[in-house]
Amino acid sequence: MASGLGMVLDEGLASFLEEPVMIIVGTQADGYLPEIARAAGAVLEADRAALHLMVSAWQWPETIANLRANRRITATFSRPADYETYQLKGTVTAIAPPTLEQQARATRYLAEIGEVLAGFGLAPEISAPWRVARDLLALRFVPEAVFVQTPGATAGQKR
Amino acid sequence: MTLSLTELAACFEGVIPSILCTVGADGTPNISYLSHVTRLDDEHVGLSDQFFSKTARNIRENPRAALLVVNPHDGAQYRLDLQYCETVGSGPVFERMAADLRATSAQVGMTDVMRLRGVAIHRVLGLRAVRSPLAAAPPEAWRGSALPRMAAVVDAFADRTELGEIVDAALDALEAAFRHGATMILLHDPARDCFVTLGSRGYGRTGIGADVLPGEGLIGLSGKEGRAIRVSDASRLRRFGAAVEASSEQENRTRSVALPSLPGAMSQIALPMATQGRIRGVLFLESPKRLAFSAEDEAALALIARQLAAAIALSEADAAEAAPDAPIPRRPSEVASPHIRVVHHAHDDSVFIEHDYLIKGVPGRILIHMLEAFLSAGQVDFSNREIRTDRALRLPGLKDNLETRLLLLRRRLEDKNAPIRLLRLSRGRIRLHVAGYPIVISDRKSGAQ
Ligand SMILES: Cc1cc2nc3c(=O)[nH]c(=O)nc-3n(C[C@H](O)[C@H](O)[C@H](O)COP(=O)(O)O)c2cc1C
Repeated sequence: MASGLGMVLDEGLASFLEEPVMIIVGTQADGYLPEIARAAGAVLEADRAALHLMVSAWQWPETIANLRANRRITATFSRPADYETYQLKGTVTAIAPPTLEQQARATRYLAEIGEVLAGFGLAPEISAPWRVARDLLALRFVPEAVFVQTPGATAGQKR
Repeated sequence: MTLSLTELAACFEGVIPSILCTVGADGTPNISYLSHVTRLDDEHVGLSDQFFSKTARNIRENPRAALLVVNPHDGAQYRLDLQYCETVGSGPVFERMAADLRATSAQVGMTDVMRLRGVAIHRVLGLRAVRSPLAAAPPEAWRGSALPRMAAVVDAFADRTELGEIVDAALDALEAAFRHGATMILLHDPARDCFVTLGSRGYGRTGIGADVLPGEGLIGLSGKEGRAIRVSDASRLRRFGAAVEASSEQENRTRSVALPSLPGAMSQIALPMATQGRIRGVLFLESPKRLAFSAEDEAALALIARQLAAAIALSEADAAEAAPDAPIPRRPSEVASPHIRVVHHAHDDSVFIEHDYLIKGVPGRILIHMLEAFLSAGQVDFSNREIRTDRALRLPGLKDNLETRLLLLRRRLEDKNAPIRLLRLSRGRIRLHVAGYPIVISDRKSGAQ
């Protein structure tokens, strides 16, 4: 199963996901109620079969609860410079405290995305509420489908 | 709901993209960004459907949606629980959002890509603040009320009767009350169907005489559609004409004046100056600060623009009354003074003084007419009424905006430091002042009069 799914993320897309891009996470509670969270960075596994999303359990407890209940996840990655955007859909196979390396990546990501946004005139104080590292958890996310979400004629289509 | 949608007004300014999550019939969530969300009333929001794909299918299968909006002043996030109602593709809600989108996309230069397909109307079932490690700033705490500022501005010009005084008083009072950066007042010229700059503050040069076509940029769009248009964060937007350097050579080449611009402007607002169903011009303000104009400022400025339109309409109507004086003819002496070369091109009535472009259209025609009367009969004093009734001038009818044209001509002569000036004597009367002897060269066909 893992080898087939590894093809979902090609090298170009994989490196895009690790760039300082905005990451938003969708889940659902019982009764198909949608929920929203932001992620504090992504780290890919070497074979690109899965990625780990860092999410603050302190800021987004509903999202963590949903994933513990039903594992279904979607995440959209958008580059502020040109709005190039992709959505990954799949399942979460593990929820764990981040490793030291993952924690370091999250810290670096939060600083970098703050700088990127500052470059577009958004003061770091303003983006601070979206860049929260308190009680991070690493969600192991196995993607099953990728969609192009860049605004334009092909937005929403399967990649 | 402890919080109300009204308190979140700033979140709907379209500055920071909102986030929408929906879930399909099979339980798969979908999450995407939305740049335009509007508050329709205390219980409903409208989402801009431009590219909805999975979202459109999901909300039909399962009407529950989650929305996250952000206050651009402090970054605070709010979570709304939504219930999908319907999608509208016409009507006032749709038109308003479509016009907002046109305004932003005209600036980004992607008018076609950004077309609005529908407004997805949702009922707000719940609303809460997302936890934040930072204390949120009290909403709009730093802002003074717009009402006293508006009163000060309207007070400053409401008792003026002459067009030039109205324009100057309004520009000065706006600058003092709003302390934003730069301001322009443009009036509509029905003869050429464009908006002409009549006065400005806060730019390196006045830009008097600069044209904006209806539909062009924020100003042209506001004037064409008769709507207020506001941009709160222009950091991503390509600026029109930002690189345009104003120079005499450029004016001479293009026979036009370049519109001034504020380098690094982040906020802009354009308001139609309309009264009695007619759009008379556009009031435009810009600022180097993000979010310089709030929704409340917009309302106040919209009323100021309407008052300004009414004052201008009244001054045009009043000025028409003055009757001609009996002039004291004194023919100019050709030898006594330096020659001033004035060239007139009949096809667009453009006028050049000493090789420098001055003006075109009806004001150009009026100046040539005055100079010819000066040369042939020594006339220096002119009344509005005689200019208006002079058949040779072919003024475009009763609603001829004569006051506007004369003011434009007078200000342009001052701007260019020309050796020919117009002085305002009294209501409806002007005097031509020529520091020399004008040599008028026109390619107008003789016998045209
Ligand atoms: C910053 C940003 C803003 C966007 N704003 C809108 C919008 O206002 N309306 C819209 O229909 N799509 C917008 N899009 C595109 C959508 O996010 C999405 O790609 C599109 O609706 C199709 O995807 P779907 O299959 O998820 O519905 C935006 C995308 C980005 C990255």
